[in-house]
Order: sequence, then C-alpha cells, then structure tokens
Amino acid sequence: MSIISVKDVSFSYNEKKQGLKNVNIEINKGEWIAILGHNGSGKSTLAKTLVGLLEPQNGEIIIDSIKLTEETAYDLRKKVGIVFQNPDNQFVGVTVRDDIAFGMENLCVPREEMLKKIDFYAEKVGMIDFLDKQPSNLSGGQKQRVAIAGILAMKSDILIFDEATSMLDPYTRNDLIQYIKELNEEGLTIIMITHDVNEAVLADKILIMNKGEVFAFDETKALLKNKQIFLDSHLELPVTLEIASKINNKKIKESLWEFTLTK
Amino acid sequence: MGIYFNEVTHEYASYSKKTYKAIQNISLRIEKDYEFIALVGHTGSGKSTLAKHMNALIFPTSGSVDIFGKHIAQKRDKKISYNQLRKNVGLVFQFPEYQLFEETVEKDIMFGPLNFKVPLEEAKVIAKESLELVGLDETYLKRNPFNLSGGEKKRVSIAGILALDPDILVLDEPTSGLDPAGKNTLMKLFTEIHQKTNKTIIIITHDMDLVYEYFNRVIVLKDGELSFDGTPDNLFRSDVLDSNHLDYPNTIKTLKYLKEKLGLDVDIYQKNVDDVVVEINRVIANE
Repeated sequence: MSIISVKDVSFSYNEKKQGLKNVNIEINKGEWIAILGHNGSGKSTLAKTLVGLLEPQNGEIIIDSIKLTEETAYDLRKKVGIVFQNPDNQFVGVTVRDDIAFGMENLCVPREEMLKKIDFYAEKVGMIDFLDKQPSNLSGGQKQRVAIAGILAMKSDILIFDEATSMLDPYTRNDLIQYIKELNEEGLTIIMITHDVNEAVLADKILIMNKGEVFAFDETKALLKNKQIFLDSHLELPVTLEIASKINNKKIKESLWEFTLTK
Repeated sequence: MGIYFNEVTHEYASYSKKTYKAIQNISLRIEKDYEFIALVGHTGSGKSTLAKHMNALIFPTSGSVDIFGKHIAQKRDKKISYNQLRKNVGLVFQFPEYQLFEETVEKDIMFGPLNFKVPLEEAKVIAKESLELVGLDETYLKRNPFNLSGGEKKRVSIAGILALDPDILVLDEPTSGLDPAGKNTLMKLFTEIHQKTNKTIIIITHDMDLVYEYFNRVIVLKDGELSFDGTPDNLFRSDVLDSNHLDYPNTIKTLKYLKEKLGLDVDIYQKNVDDVVVEINRVIANE
C-alpha cells in the first residue's frame, strides 16, 4: 500500500522558475527511496512539498490516506520528519538537550520518557557528551547530528533526509546509515535526497529528478544497470561501477557489482 | 610568506561555563605559493576553527599565528590592518550561500572589490570574470541570488571571494551539497586557479576521493590536535586514518576488495578511476 502518493504535482516559484512539473510518484510503506538529481533538478522542492512547506499549484499529495492541505499539514508533520542540509536553519534550543527535546515537547511526550529518549538518540548520533553545550558552539557536522537526533526522537513514520548527511564525516555517516537501516527494517519509510551515489545504492529504489520532472524511478539494481540514464541526467555512477563499465573481465565485473551492492 | 601557526590553542566557552579546546597546540607552516592542501578530520575535530585563524577572524587563546608577516596573538592589535589580511587570505565559509544579500548577483560579487575602493566599472569587469571562473555565464549577473539553486548560490558566493583576488584561498567544505558535475567543475576550477597562479589553496573536505586525486598535501586533525601532515599517498599508506574515524578513497577500497576476493596482484594505491582500470588491465594481461 502506498504511504505517499504524489499525483500530477506541479509547482513553480515564479513565472521563470519551474520547481516541479507533473510529478507522479507512489511510495510504499517501509520502502527506502533515494532521490538523485543535479543541483536545481527539483529534489528539495519535492521534499518541501511533501511536508507541506510549499503548496503545489496543481495536483495533490496524499500521505497515509490523508490529503495534504493547509488544514491537515500540521497533523501530517507528525508523520513526516525532515532534516535539512543546513543545520543552522533548524536550531531552536539553548542547549543540545533542549534542542533534541523541542520536537517531542510539541508532541507532548511525558518528561520522564523524554529524558530517556534524549539520552538514547544523542547516543545514537554520538552526541551524548555534548548535551549541555550550546548548539552555536558546535561544528557543522555536530549540529547536523543534533538535528538528526531531534527528528529521530519524534518517531515519525516517514523520514526525509534532504542532503542531511553531506556534512558528516564518513565514520559518523556510516553509523547513521546503519541506524537508518535498522529503522527501515522496523518499517519506517525513508526518503533520502543525496548527491552521493554510494549512499543511494543502499536504497530499495532510486528516483532521478531532472528539470523538475521524474526522469527515472526504478529498483536500485535495475536502474544502476542503465548507465545512459545517469549520463543523461548528469549524474555519476558509483566509482565501483564506473570501473566495472571499463573492464572486460567477467569475474572482476561481477565482484565489483557485488561490492557495490553489499557495502 | 604565508601562514605560520605557532603552538596555537583555541578554547570556546560553553554553557556549563567549562571551556573546551577546539584546537590544541597546533604548529604548522603554510606557504603562499605552490601548495594545494586538504584539511581533513572528523566532525568537531577543529577544522573550521583552524581555518578561521588563517585570516585572523578569531584570536588564539594561547600561541600565535603569523599571517603574511603580521603577528596575531591573543588580542586585537591596532597596528595591524585586518582588512588587508582579508585580502591576503580569502576565506569561504561553510554554506557561503547564506551570506548572499544583494539584489543581483553582480552587486553581490562587486561588494568586496568596491569595499576595497575598486572603481565601479572595474568592479563590473571583475564580477563578470569571477562569475565565469565558477562556471556561470553573464546572464546570471542581473539575476536575483535568492532565486538561484543551492549549487548556483554557492558558486556565486565563491565568485565573491575570487573577486578579491586573495593570495591564499581557504574554503570550508566548498563542494558539499553540490552534484557530482558541480563538484568536479569546482575542483577543476580550484586546480586551474592553483596551476595558473601558483596560489596556495586550502580546502576542508571529507571526500577522500578528491584528496587523493587532486591534492599535494593533506593535514589531518584529530580532537583538535595535528594528527598527520604530509602527502595523500603517505597518508593512505599509513594507518593514521584507522584511528581517526576517516575513510579511504574508493579507488583503494575497491582494489583492496578485488585483491582479497579474487587474489588479484594489484597495486591498490591508485589515484583515480582511469589509473585503477589501467592497473587492473595490466594485472589481467600478466596472468
């Protein structure tokens, strides 16, 4: 059953700038979707329409059988959590602890439970030693981890990461991805907007946006086999597959594919 | 001439009134010319703090920084022209796109040069040239920066620093958030500027593929301390990364996998995809 359906959605910022053009997408409950696309392809616009931050001029978005409108947006935000690329845009708390608590406070989570959850999620993102620090004194990557903890703590059914891992060091990023994997296995729907193909290959399906339109949407492995789609949408294949495409030896090719998809 | 760190420590105050050291006892020399330096380290390792010291945006808690002959210690010194330092060392922050503020791209890029008393007509020429350098054509000049995409904004803000023609360029994660094409364009641009002008460029990055392919020196910070300073090749051949929460380049990881899985007798230290392909083919031909 689809948990998100996007039907004929178009959005333009102004006469000159089209954000989305007739976008149709069905996302099933529990799926992990990676969204790729070059800068300006409409990825972030799509994410913003999914959480009701932007209202499409045409078409409709249905989340968990509820149509997204101005009236339902507030309630639907409990179902859909989003982390943006720049953590500075999403800080409200005086301390890291306050900041992680903010979303839960709005959901009226009882205090005892909240304190436990703060510790739990701070630990998950490796920020447990920073709970009393001011967010403004943290590094870019640390801020991002705090923002992610705050969203994870809200336990929404759908999580959207809008290039949220781009500032993390590889180690922290791997940790986080492992945790997202766990959440996904528990049934959470994950939408990950990324420029990193190596990250995208972990998803069940890849959606490629180009000029505000859905350029391709398919199972990850099937899509990766079509190098032309990547070239046409100005994207790169993972390094491993780029190498595979230039090697003739069958055994090596197979190993490279295996390495790509199991990482 | 260049930027010389002498035992620099920087402490930040914290909410709980305890201070914490963002960088500790750092000594290193960065010369004005010929260096193409990657600054790497886990999140919170002190990279951005170190970068801010490179053009005296902050003062060391202890130690000193010599920037193009100016001695920067614990306090602001009235004899030093900090404006001039900003022209010696151009610093591009994380998310520079949030610093755009003018109505048009052209005005935004001209802001720096005009502040340094460059005549308007000349500043216009500089704006156009700087924009070209970052791969945007002149149709962008009259556009409103706020209607650009994230990647375009980033390029405009980098153009704004290039317009000042600094001696050393420091960029804090300039390619994060850019698509692969944009990333490559920018890296080629930095390489080009470096090769044409011999100017030293320092880039903070997490992308080890870029580090291996493009840079001739890499500085690794760990918990605010200097953990490695040398060539990328020496770094990846050592075990420094393992204890630093950092990753190896994809070329090395891939060849290592093939070596272990298939017993291919490859030299795993290859800098880019083309070199990897050549190396694999060499080994296949020998078998």
